[in-house]
Amino acid sequence: MLSSLRSGVLSTWRTSARALQTSSALQHDSLFVHRDTPEDNPNIPFEFSPANQKRVEALLAIYPEGHKRGAMIPLLDLAQRQNGGWLPISAMHKVAEVLNVPRMRVYEVATFYTMFIRRPIGKYHLQVCTTTPCWLRGSDAILKAIKDATGCEVGGNSACGKFSISEVECLGACVNAPMVQVNDDYYEDLTVDDAKEIVEKLKKDEKPKPGPRSGRFAAEPLGGLTSLTEEPTGPGYGLQDALKS
Amino acid sequence: MLRQPLTRAIALSSPSRVAPLGARRYADAVPAQPEKVEVFIDDKPVYVPPGTTVLQAAAQVGVEIPRFCYHERLAVAGNCRMCLVEVEKSPKPVAACAMPVMKGMRVKTDSDLTKKAREGVMEFLLVNHPLDCPICDQGGECDLQDQSMAFGSDKSRFTDIHFSGKRAVEDKDVGPLIKTIMTRCIHCTRCIRFASEVAGVDDFGTTGRGSDMQVGTYVEKMFLSELSGNIIDLCPVGALTSKPYSFAARPWETRRIDSVDVLDPLGSNIVVTTRTNEVLRILPRTNEEINEEWLSDKSRFACDGLKRQRLVTPMLADSRGNLTPVEWEDAIVAAARAIQDCPPDKLLAVAGDLADAESLVALKDLVNRLGSENVYTERDFPLEGSGTDLRSSYLLNTKIANVEDADFVLLIGTNVRFEAPLLNARIRKAFIHKETDVAVIGPKIDLTYDYLHVGDSASVVKDLATGSSSHEVLKRLDAAKRPIVILGADQLKTQEGSALLAYTQELALRLQDKLQDKNWKVLNVLQRSAGAVAALDLGYRPGVATALAAQPRVVFLLGADGGVVTREQLPKDAFVIYQGHHGDVGASIADVVFAGAAYTEKRATYVNAEGRAQQTLPAVSPPGRARDDWKIIRALSEVVGERLPYNNLDEVRDRLGQISPALVSYGEVQDNNYFAQARALSKSLQKPVSGTLDVQLKQLEDFFMTDPISRASPTMAKCVQAVIKQKSSVY
Amino acid sequence: MSIGKILALDKVATFFNIIRQNGGIRASLYKLYRQDELKDGVLVGEDKYGNKYYENPRFFYGRNRWVEYSDNYNMNYDGSQIPAEWFGWMHYKTDLPPHQDPSRPHYKWMSDFTENLSGTTGQYTPYSTTRPKVEAWVPKPKTSQ
Repeated sequence: MLSSLRSGVLSTWRTSARALQTSSALQHDSLFVHRDTPEDNPNIPFEFSPANQKRVEALLAIYPEGHKRGAMIPLLDLAQRQNGGWLPISAMHKVAEVLNVPRMRVYEVATFYTMFIRRPIGKYHLQVCTTTPCWLRGSDAILKAIKDATGCEVGGNSACGKFSISEVECLGACVNAPMVQVNDDYYEDLTVDDAKEIVEKLKKDEKPKPGPRSGRFAAEPLGGLTSLTEEPTGPGYGLQDALKS
Repeated sequence: MLRQPLTRAIALSSPSRVAPLGARRYADAVPAQPEKVEVFIDDKPVYVPPGTTVLQAAAQVGVEIPRFCYHERLAVAGNCRMCLVEVEKSPKPVAACAMPVMKGMRVKTDSDLTKKAREGVMEFLLVNHPLDCPICDQGGECDLQDQSMAFGSDKSRFTDIHFSGKRAVEDKDVGPLIKTIMTRCIHCTRCIRFASEVAGVDDFGTTGRGSDMQVGTYVEKMFLSELSGNIIDLCPVGALTSKPYSFAARPWETRRIDSVDVLDPLGSNIVVTTRTNEVLRILPRTNEEINEEWLSDKSRFACDGLKRQRLVTPMLADSRGNLTPVEWEDAIVAAARAIQDCPPDKLLAVAGDLADAESLVALKDLVNRLGSENVYTERDFPLEGSGTDLRSSYLLNTKIANVEDADFVLLIGTNVRFEAPLLNARIRKAFIHKETDVAVIGPKIDLTYDYLHVGDSASVVKDLATGSSSHEVLKRLDAAKRPIVILGADQLKTQEGSALLAYTQELALRLQDKLQDKNWKVLNVLQRSAGAVAALDLGYRPGVATALAAQPRVVFLLGADGGVVTREQLPKDAFVIYQGHHGDVGASIADVVFAGAAYTEKRATYVNAEGRAQQTLPAVSPPGRARDDWKIIRALSEVVGERLPYNNLDEVRDRLGQISPALVSYGEVQDNNYFAQARALSKSLQKPVSGTLDVQLKQLEDFFMTDPISRASPTMAKCVQAVIKQKSSVY
Repeated sequence: MSIGKILALDKVATFFNIIRQNGGIRASLYKLYRQDELKDGVLVGEDKYGNKYYENPRFFYGRNRWVEYSDNYNMNYDGSQIPAEWFGWMHYKTDLPPHQDPSRPHYKWMSDFTENLSGTTGQYTPYSTTRPKVEAWVPKPKTSQ
């Protein structure tokens, strides 16, 4: 009796509080403002390594004078690669300095593109495709297996700091669904066991073999070719006799 | 080099947009005008040059198309979609602000499709715009409010509020002047474009994408520019509002009085907004020839200084030398007695930066009637050569609007950015849109655009004037079709001032003589204060130092707060009369204080740096027992026994007109002549110079507090604090 | 009707009576100067400020009770100087003067009567609690002298 009264009172309180104030749903997994953290603040210096410095010069050489800011995305990508897969604010400042543009123009680009990651990230960035073709082929199970194996939530880093998982939209490998991208490599035609094996290997810092796991070479039919099975014909096939030399 | 900000570069660039309004006298050598195309706006034919947008063509026949992101003086962004109109034979409505006209185009601005498009856009804008108009400072002057009344739907389909809510964006701290409520932002990007194109401070941008996109600075950084307040006017919604004015008043409660700004030498046109005899805020008033529609932050926000540190009652020093409030009679009689007892040659009058022409002429007439010629301005100017006899030697002869048409600008010892922010905005406009190049002689300063630094030595000017310089600037100047030379009046303080002015005149007039355009004026002297030109026109002599050396016994300070006259320089028994509106440097050394009126409290004439007379209008009454300045001097003259022959403002202005008709031809500016004579007179002054040119206002923090009004303003003090705080930030 | 009444001799008698009661010709002239009228009446009582209250039923209602203000007030007397306890008798609310009224309560919280000071230097002036719109400059006191 008392408990029902209490729950009744609580429920009215909850609904009324809900009616009074709502906060908008977070529609993006990262913030679009910068907050200084110990890992990411402008006091941490960033310089391109000597090897990358050469790449910077090569990239800049592509663009004509007056349009050097076209090199912004390649440079940001270079900086992100050099910095272990994520883009600190000091790297953005460095790119702005190299291109001689206001820093805000770099921030705009870096926040617009989701592949520029502006928070510290694990050594291996596992991007699980969950768009319709992969989802139909069992990407939910793959995602769960990867989450269990790495101990890491979507959008977070694992405790060991080695892994980060993102749910991403179509990566263009629908023929080989389901698939996962780890840093620059695609792992396709996955089963749950494959996913676990990939994570185990990565834990030991071994590189699993990229590509389809079903024994396919690429995107050909799984049960062997059903067309174009014969030897390709040579040049001049089907020409009129009169046109043959 | 790509000078235009990216937004500008991508946007369509049409000649008509670069020079949007106003008849331009110096249009580019009139290239063969392209044939005009005929378009029909709501079946009304209109002929416009090709490249004009539909929106501009519609404006020509008086059809106003609703818009949020489009602004005449900024690049076209085309992202708000409010200006969608139906064009015949086009399958979809087109954005009028970005669509160039085509021959025979038939635009329907009132068709069902157009109305539906507008209603749809409005609905989308309102989906994420909070309905907090009752607590929004923009309420009553909000474009979104007005346009949703005019073009929006009469009912809402928005029912989502219970589960996900509207988009919410955290507010940004962009400094002590601008309050941000970013949830209200509709992403028109006007502020971003203003910051990037006009202010030249690229701190604003859009971060993120999609419905999470936000306008801001990404990092914690304040938007500190001398023109920042203008983004408040630009913002079509209440996302950017004025912090000092927040929750102060509604636009329909206030009275608006057209007036003129006096805090910089340009005399920007302003609207003073008042309620219950209190100045609430100051807004710019469009004047194409001076300030376009911008206003500098000091002019806009220093108005709260009009309520602090005011002189509200006349004061007289008591037996211990402490100023105590007294009646007008006592103060005037005490001053008159001192003046009567003083031999004429020991009487000195010094006019300050904010003195208006009426009080200047009254004071000068009074001093002259007493047999003295000692009327001086605080600011220095060389008297050798033509001195202040020829108006051309101390004015901006090119005129502010024409600066846009210059193709080479040489700045000598002036930081235009802080001495006359809107002149700098003009130079920047020319720099960006017209490939104008700028060279600077003086210290290296941030002018918001690139310039050629020629050195900071005065001898550089000499070399350029004599043609012995090997610097490329000389070649550029010689090659320029419409060069201008701007000399900062601050440089004329020193011993070498007369030589520097002589060399500048020589350089400018040598260039001017060669020009094909005989109407083009090259020589410009940028005064530092609003009262300077009127004082020089009226025959005030620059340079108090010599007069002080003569040990004056009675000193009349008319708003002289520059600290030029100090007690130490005066004999011990000197009697100091101060007349002004703020208790500042001048009042604190005075024996008698007359409480005068500030520029928002009197109808007074100010002459700007171009020599354009303009008048302020009384928006509020002077506080307490303060009075109009010229009336105080008129009253004093009667007690002294030398009654001035004018009893009302019209008679004072008749007297001004007798001295110079230019002082009473309001709003107009006359062309200056006698350049050759000034040059000839200055020939003998071309002595070797060796000093370096330095400017007083180098950094932004120097800009905010330069006169008694802005020194009394708490907002300006906060600005200085903010700039200093920003300096220590890593961003 | 007596002969005296016909010749209005009683009026003459009343006149001399009034003069006598008010303390002779000199004192009567002073009273006339101070109060603009001269009446005879019965002294009903005197309050603690020295005001004297008179009654004479010969005068018509409304003029038959009056006060002669204490000499302390000189010419500066006004109605508000009548204390609260005499107010009722003066305004015919009661016919019992305060010292003859046993039922009149006396509580200890009753404060002393004060007259209305409006129009004098001691008057109450309301003050503003809002900040002044314009802050005046206060000169720094000179320390050297």
